[in-house]
Amino acid sequence: MSISRRKFLGWLGTAGVGATLGKTARAASNKHFDGYPNSDGVLFDDSRCIGCRKCEEGCNRVNELPAPERPFSDLSLLDTKRRTTAKTYTVVNRYDDTVSERGPLYQKVQCNHCLEPACASACFVRAFTKTKTGAVIYDESVCVGCRYCMIACPFEIPTYEYDNAFSPRVMKCTMCYPRISKGLLPGCVEACPTEALTYGKREDLLKIGRERIAKFPERYVNHIYGENEMGGTSWLYLSSVPFKDVGLREDLGVTPAPKLTAGALNVVPMVAGLWPVLLVGIYAINRRKEKIERQEKEKAVATALENARTEAEATLSEAMEKAEKEKTAAIETAVSKALEEAAKASEENAGDSAGEDAAKKPSEEDS
Amino acid sequence: MEKGRALLRWNVVLIAVVTVLFMTNSPVVLGVATQPKKAAEIRADIIHIDSMKAFGKLERPGVTFLHQKHTSALEKKGKDCAACHLSAKNPALDMERMSTMYMRLKDTSKQEVMDIYHDNCISCHKETKAAKEASGPIDCGGCHQQQVTVISSWRPIGMDKSLHYRHSKAQDNKCEKCHHEYDENTKKLIYAKGKEGTCRYCHGEKTEENRISMRLASHIACIDCHRQTMAKDESAGPVYCNGCHEPGQQKLIETVKDVPRMKHNQPDYVFVKTVASHNKKSNPPTQMNLVPFNHQAHEKYNDSCRVCHHAALDDCVQCHSLEGSKEGDNVTLQQAMHRLKVDQSCMGCHEAKLNNKSCAGCHTSFEKKRQQGTASCVNCHMIPPSRLTNEAQPAEEMKLAAEALGAREAVTVTYDDEEIPETVVIKALTNIYEPVKLPHRKIVNALFNNIKDNKLANFFHHEKGTICQGCHHNSPAAKKPPSCGSCHGRPFNSKDPFKPGLMAAYHRQCMECHKAMDIKKPVSTDCIACHAKKS
Repeated sequence: MSISRRKFLGWLGTAGVGATLGKTARAASNKHFDGYPNSDGVLFDDSRCIGCRKCEEGCNRVNELPAPERPFSDLSLLDTKRRTTAKTYTVVNRYDDTVSERGPLYQKVQCNHCLEPACASACFVRAFTKTKTGAVIYDESVCVGCRYCMIACPFEIPTYEYDNAFSPRVMKCTMCYPRISKGLLPGCVEACPTEALTYGKREDLLKIGRERIAKFPERYVNHIYGENEMGGTSWLYLSSVPFKDVGLREDLGVTPAPKLTAGALNVVPMVAGLWPVLLVGIYAINRRKEKIERQEKEKAVATALENARTEAEATLSEAMEKAEKEKTAAIETAVSKALEEAAKASEENAGDSAGEDAAKKPSEEDS
Repeated sequence: MEKGRALLRWNVVLIAVVTVLFMTNSPVVLGVATQPKKAAEIRADIIHIDSMKAFGKLERPGVTFLHQKHTSALEKKGKDCAACHLSAKNPALDMERMSTMYMRLKDTSKQEVMDIYHDNCISCHKETKAAKEASGPIDCGGCHQQQVTVISSWRPIGMDKSLHYRHSKAQDNKCEKCHHEYDENTKKLIYAKGKEGTCRYCHGEKTEENRISMRLASHIACIDCHRQTMAKDESAGPVYCNGCHEPGQQKLIETVKDVPRMKHNQPDYVFVKTVASHNKKSNPPTQMNLVPFNHQAHEKYNDSCRVCHHAALDDCVQCHSLEGSKEGDNVTLQQAMHRLKVDQSCMGCHEAKLNNKSCAGCHTSFEKKRQQGTASCVNCHMIPPSRLTNEAQPAEEMKLAAEALGAREAVTVTYDDEEIPETVVIKALTNIYEPVKLPHRKIVNALFNNIKDNKLANFFHHEKGTICQGCHHNSPAAKKPPSCGSCHGRPFNSKDPFKPGLMAAYHRQCMECHKAMDIKKPVSTDCIACHAKKS
């Protein structure tokens, strides 16, 4: 006896719902990851950026990336919107301010080093690590090249070495992890002539950002981008225009990417843990059912046999009784007959004792 | 096989549904695309007629009415305003006034007003059409259109000093021609001599009891007077929309350069202070050093009295008492004089002047706030209140204020040329470039010459080193200020996170100042314009 597929899916669904309910209860427990304490970050201020591309040059130099086709001093590249590539960890884009006569604004693009990175949560071999310095780093030795990280990243940052046939890597800004571990500045920050990029503890950067907004309220939008976006990022932004006008997505919300999938993914370990129990349980139930059925069947058979036997015995005894009666009756008949004959013979006298025995024998044989 | 056929059928249905949805949303179905696309017309005479709103929700979209298009068409036929607007005797004025409403004097009932529009508009349109002339629509959708295809260039107009002078001159200084007050007893408009103010003091945004809105008041009174003057074949002001509200035509309005002072018993010089007669609970006498104010000069700087006297032509302290009162919306005298980002306060207006390109270079990097207890306070707060007796007559007061202001040195000074280093060699970044030769004296002279004729600037740049502080900030004004490197060192010092490093300090000082002063060269991204290439 087996269970139907429908029944099995039903059980699985119930287990899933149970897991989700448990999740809600946990969310109310007020656990929230604010990033590693004392982790570093960078604050970008577009009111200070002059669009010189020195950051791109600095990044290229310290990360030993291939030389670009056109030199970094060629600012005509800013005429087109660019994205990070496998050969450039960071790019600067120009946004012509059509609203005021402030002149163009520039926006630097690179990995934002989320506090809870989507890339890391999507990676099933744990090639990405959010380090305590704040940098999100990549381990090419475990990467299987599935590129889920590229799909997962809401900022579309990780890129892939498609032109490398044998050992392609996912490429993205590392916040110069090797350098900051040694106490050096990230390449882009070091190269920036105007401190449009400020390096420091993320908590300090938030203070600096708030201070700038408070001192020059007419210069900035009253918001630090990255403070809460996608659960917070280590790279923070100040802007003099709404962030969406300088290419930063405002539709991301404040939930970290891993939380968005946590509900569904939380079911996985639970199902994995429950499966043996579940299947053994189902097996045991089935076994028990079978056992009971067998026992019932045996019992029924036994009862039937018993009944049959009793019945047969009854019939036999009845027949026996009947036979006994008939026998007795026959004997009686024979005896009375014999007695009549004897009486007759005694009446007729002599020589008749031999006849008496002969008359007895046939009557016995008849019954 | 059976399954496949069903799938195919559903596919066809789905495609059909999508196509239908797409088509209904596309302009082809709505018929918009059939009209040739043309650039939207820009006009200053757009009136959105939604009079029916007074009777509840609109059944159809309101009508976008182009007023001047109608007036010019009617003018050609020798018709005037009366073709569409009725006149009636105004009981408060004892004279005929033209109503701004179309073909009626007031909104009577929904049906009646609707009929007035439909009957009159459509019949006129029909007539002109019959005469084979260009005409307006006669179908519902022709007028009641959801989409507005004209763009408004309408600009408000105000009575500035020049315009006021031209009006009073034309009226032989008869203020009563325009200025009036409502008399509760007689329910008439009367002239109160000496109590004239700007129209907006009484006529507000909306019509209230006894006073019509500014919009109505100006359109009724101005246009009526202009029409009457025109009828006398005299030169008159505009009667159509564009004359007052079209930006191009506004520029053509004649401006008188040297407008004689308006006479309203205003002082030439005055002290900003509380006086004994104001000695209410919320208005004790001023203890702070008094501020002498050159009223006469400020009349020249501003277009109208309303810039400062935003609610009435009274003394500031009348409403803004020392401790704040209900009449002044609880804005204290101190706030009224010092508040930033408002036009009517002293500091608000002076601060706005810092956006001037010759000022912005230095002032752009200064936080916009009142400095606490600095020497700059006494630039205005000059006279100890003890020097003014309570019984001082206005004339005496005026004399004292004038003397105090006259004694004030209004001149920007700085060091002599020989004392200013001609060039300063900056030896930073010499690992990549040659040292930078900063034309130091040239820069100082440019900053100085930019502001030496600016009276406001001259009152505040007293010390020889003040102008130096534009760059050599955060240290006392001195002939030999500290070098940049004595404060700015390695960047991102966690113990002093708000201070930029030396490289950024240099670059930002130069670049942000140049940007604020609109100096195009050298371009910020042109490194070798300042840093010579290493040979």
